[in-house]
Amino acid sequence: MFHVRISLFSQTKALENKIDLFHDKIIDVAMTFKKAIRVFLEEQRSAEYKKLSKQIKQIEHDADAIRRDIENKLYVENLLPDLRGDVLHLVEKLDKIINKYDEVAHTFYIERPEIPSEYHMRLLELCEQVTDCTENMAIASRAFFRDISTVRDYSQKVYFMEHESDITSAHLREAIFDSELPLANKIQLSSLICKVADVADIAEDCIDELLIFTIKRDI
Amino acid sequence: MDIAFFIFLSSGLFLGWSLGANDAANIFGTAVGTRMVKFRTAAVIASFFIILGAVYAGAGASKTLGDLGNVNAIAGAFMVAFSAALTVYWMVGSGIPVSTSQAIVGAIVGWNLYSGKTTDIGVLSKIVSTWAICPALSGVIAIFLYYIIKIVLKHSKIHLVRQDCYTRIGLILAGAFGAYALGANNIANVMGVFVDSSPFRPVDMGLFKLNGTQILFLIGGISISVGVFTYSQKVINTVGNNLMSMSPLVAWIVVVSQSLVLFLFASQGLQHFLTSNGLPSLPLVPVSSSQAVIGAVIGIGIMKGGTCVRWSTLGRIALGWITTPVIASVICFISLFFLENVFNQTVFLP
Repeated sequence: MFHVRISLFSQTKALENKIDLFHDKIIDVAMTFKKAIRVFLEEQRSAEYKKLSKQIKQIEHDADAIRRDIENKLYVENLLPDLRGDVLHLVEKLDKIINKYDEVAHTFYIERPEIPSEYHMRLLELCEQVTDCTENMAIASRAFFRDISTVRDYSQKVYFMEHESDITSAHLREAIFDSELPLANKIQLSSLICKVADVADIAEDCIDELLIFTIKRDI
Repeated sequence: MDIAFFIFLSSGLFLGWSLGANDAANIFGTAVGTRMVKFRTAAVIASFFIILGAVYAGAGASKTLGDLGNVNAIAGAFMVAFSAALTVYWMVGSGIPVSTSQAIVGAIVGWNLYSGKTTDIGVLSKIVSTWAICPALSGVIAIFLYYIIKIVLKHSKIHLVRQDCYTRIGLILAGAFGAYALGANNIANVMGVFVDSSPFRPVDMGLFKLNGTQILFLIGGISISVGVFTYSQKVINTVGNNLMSMSPLVAWIVVVSQSLVLFLFASQGLQHFLTSNGLPSLPLVPVSSSQAVIGAVIGIGIMKGGTCVRWSTLGRIALGWITTPVIASVICFISLFFLENVFNQTVFLP
């Protein structure tokens, strides 16, 4: 009996740690991405950018492993039977954010877009907004597990930052298409900007669902 | 020992089986329904604690049933228990959680009517009043617990996974307490009418002694356990999911509320403590665990705005409350006639 009790608590603790670690990965990937874009704008596809891009890939791999571990633990140990579906869905959705960061960083690496310096500030601003949005998403999701009363506060920040990123990306694309750049270049830059802004869109979808899960979590 | 006694006792065992099939749902139905506790785990715990409660603390509520109708012939006791069991069996078959307490009270009143004995209106009204007090009290306790849990959760910031772990342990502990309270309170329904004709003598088991009534209650407790194992899953599905969709924490509140109510209506120790301190006490009466559960669920449902309670299911259950004692009474009256006139059995002593 004593062994069973200890085992139950240790399994609980292990899963708590995994969930926390998974959220850490979202914040890690956002910070690394922001740094990588700054490096790319200054140095293009330098060794430093390559290193950061690899780092993002590694975070994505680690997050995948943690996600699979969480899913496995939830099912094998029959934990959270009533909210399991919601938690799994949330974790998968959060993983999509990480995947998107990896995809965008890799696209920059492969395509090596030439970004005129007059757009650097706005692109950095967009990255700032997008990463801010996802960081708040991660905090809201963490709050879902510990303190549901604060989920709403963070969700408002996510909505706000997503809206800001939409405005910034629209202005940026408009400016690019108004410029004298070759059309191919314009399309390439526009597509990349959309990809960056997509990260915030995924975070917004995620927060929509999180708010529903929060209502369901209330006793 | 007279073999005829065991043949007549079979109806009580049948009633016990029906009670186990029906009322285990009230203890572990919500926990199993929300998949927090496996059915087999629930059945083992429920069986053990039902028997413990029945043997250790079953005497109080049993005495009140004796006061309502002192069924003084074993054949009569057989038919009283059989009528109640048949009623509960039919109702269980329809998937409605019914009240074994009301079935046995209806059957005893049927016996009183047939034998020409006067039904003690004082005792009857005391019992009937508990039919109203029981769900109301359970509802009040549930509302109180609901508030407490909300406040605790708000301030403790327990991780969801850990909360799940605590809830699981809480459900098992509450289920064990509920099973004990059910055994203590409801064994009267199963074996109460046989107490006067019990042939059992006290037995020294070494570590503890059992008197004749306790041996009778032990046998009744075992029959309830058999009911838990063999037939309770169908009703568990009804209580677990049909009345209101419940989170595991709400399930815990429901189980604790109904367990406390059953305990309050069964504990001689508590009654003695309250009366000796000049405080008002509740009568020791077998009450319906189904009503207690429904009271708790409604209490929480109202706190949540009343929109999540499926009132139609509740209406079907309420219909069962009225029909159960009436059906049991009619079956008992008619069956006693046949038992006496066709099978030449003495169903009551003048």
